[in-house]
Amino acid sequence: MTDSNFKEKSVALWNRFAKTVKTHPHAQFFIFGLVMVMLGYFSSVGVFPSFYLSVFAYIIIYTLVALGLNLLLGFSGLISLASSSFIGVGALGTGVFLNLGLPFELAAALAIVSAAGIGALIGLLSSKISGIYLAISTLFIAEILRQIFTSVDIFGGERLDIGTVKLLGFIELSRNSRAERFYLYAIMAIVLALMMMVVYNIIKSRSGRAFMGISRSENSAAAMGISPLKYRVMAFTVATFFAAVAGVLYALYFQDAPTRQWGLLQSLTIIAIVVVGGFKSIYGMFFGAVIIHGMSELFLKDWLGNVSSVFSGILLIVVILFYPQGIAHVWIDLKKLYYKLKTRKKKDVINDES
Amino acid sequence: MSHDDYVLKLDNVTMRFGGLTAVNGLSFSIKPREIVGLIGPNGAGKTTVFNCVTQFYDTYEGTISFKVDDAITNLKDRKVTEVIDLGIARTFQNIELVPDLSILDNIMIGAHNTFKTGIVQHIFRTPKARAEEKAVREKAIEALKFMHIDHLKDQFAGGQPYGVQKKIEIARTLMSDPKLIILDEPAAGLNDSETDELETLIYRIRDEYDASVLLIEHDMGFVMEICDRVCAINFGQFLAMDTPKNIQNHPDVQEAYLGKED
Repeated sequence: MTDSNFKEKSVALWNRFAKTVKTHPHAQFFIFGLVMVMLGYFSSVGVFPSFYLSVFAYIIIYTLVALGLNLLLGFSGLISLASSSFIGVGALGTGVFLNLGLPFELAAALAIVSAAGIGALIGLLSSKISGIYLAISTLFIAEILRQIFTSVDIFGGERLDIGTVKLLGFIELSRNSRAERFYLYAIMAIVLALMMMVVYNIIKSRSGRAFMGISRSENSAAAMGISPLKYRVMAFTVATFFAAVAGVLYALYFQDAPTRQWGLLQSLTIIAIVVVGGFKSIYGMFFGAVIIHGMSELFLKDWLGNVSSVFSGILLIVVILFYPQGIAHVWIDLKKLYYKLKTRKKKDVINDES
Repeated sequence: MSHDDYVLKLDNVTMRFGGLTAVNGLSFSIKPREIVGLIGPNGAGKTTVFNCVTQFYDTYEGTISFKVDDAITNLKDRKVTEVIDLGIARTFQNIELVPDLSILDNIMIGAHNTFKTGIVQHIFRTPKARAEEKAVREKAIEALKFMHIDHLKDQFAGGQPYGVQKKIEIARTLMSDPKLIILDEPAAGLNDSETDELETLIYRIRDEYDASVLLIEHDMGFVMEICDRVCAINFGQFLAMDTPKNIQNHPDVQEAYLGKED
């Protein structure tokens, strides 16, 4: 069997696979959401230790932010070192508006809108600066936001107590009750599944193609009527929107927001999730979050103690060096390997006959 | 055909980069449904002319007018992203595709300006957004069939052979219902049979899409074969514009390409 034949075959198979996946992607996200809810349920009834639930919740938060950052890094070729700060805007913003007496939904919406507004401003900034300078600028924006969180009184100094939340005005859920904590988690899992659908819809639309157009060949994008500025602003707005939604979920689940943790360290963790998970992959963000956050929280901390934080750093370097397409690409590579072995076997048979 | 019937008219266009004058007082025009070649030695300013027409450079002097259905537009009033709305589509000398998108999606980017729905409608997949996406997809498949590469539509654009990538770029220009198609070295890197095929395709584009074509090309056989008229420039200066046969015998053109006889 010739090499080109093999190529054709693998391409044909990939096409068939892609077609099956393409026909019902939304159903897959729905199933994914259900599985996540189930995992949380197992943990709340005691199949897993109960602290697993908080780890799962954090994985959901990280996945959400990574999905947004992926639109910047993977699709639009832009970088932001301020993702964590916008989780902070979402979480602390919700807390502040709640403490002002607003209902939860309105507080969340206001927090998300203000974060997306700042995101749009960064987008405008990105028309003048790019690459490493954009990274540095977003770093300063992150630092400004962190200073505001820690020194402005309404954010409560060290941490902001949010307390039980009332959804739709009458469903009161507290994280102190085991059952209610599971409900809070279930809401997060559903939101994640919905947001995955949102990302999918964006990347499969004219907007998603435009994001890729401005990053891969800005000249031809402009010649086809895609305004790079417009889509940069849009990419940053959507990315901060995702981060802020993650922040709202943080406020919802943990009901208590620290002010110091929304800084560079966490932003780098999120970038690591995107890189390890695989650019442009939706499920990759989840697996990235599981590996970077989940693994070290669930297992490595027991085995390695404080050294476990080294793990994500080393993993990031290893992935960039040897597997730049990320974990999401493992599946494709496994299939390739399978066909290689299959064709090699056939070759052996032919050689034996001759 | 009256004398001043044109699609594109350059009037005394000059483009300077600092001290270098890349295009110097260039004037020529293209008639409707005409295929015009722009030739000149390397560095003559051909691509600069293209970039001025498509407003990638907007600091040129002189006027470039575009006329469709008796409506005349001074292109300088339009931004680079608005030029395609008028019906001017172009390809690039170095192929500019999105390598990690399928060929079909690449073609669909060409219809970007024809969409009416925005990102919010895309997020919720409103019926209107879906209908529009479907219509554009069908149109893109038509364009791919036109270029005889529809069997490759789901493959990534990145790994395709050079000839196919050139075809993708041309197919992409067809998505915006262009009145003027600007091709930057469409035959570069193609073998003889591919060049022949390209020739037929360009004729078909002119006839079926009712478009004019302006192209830069170094393959003189191709240019002389396909073009109705050829415009020759050298060091940004206009040399001559005439039928291919007359251009070949024009003393200034011969001098530009072959040097002066001592």
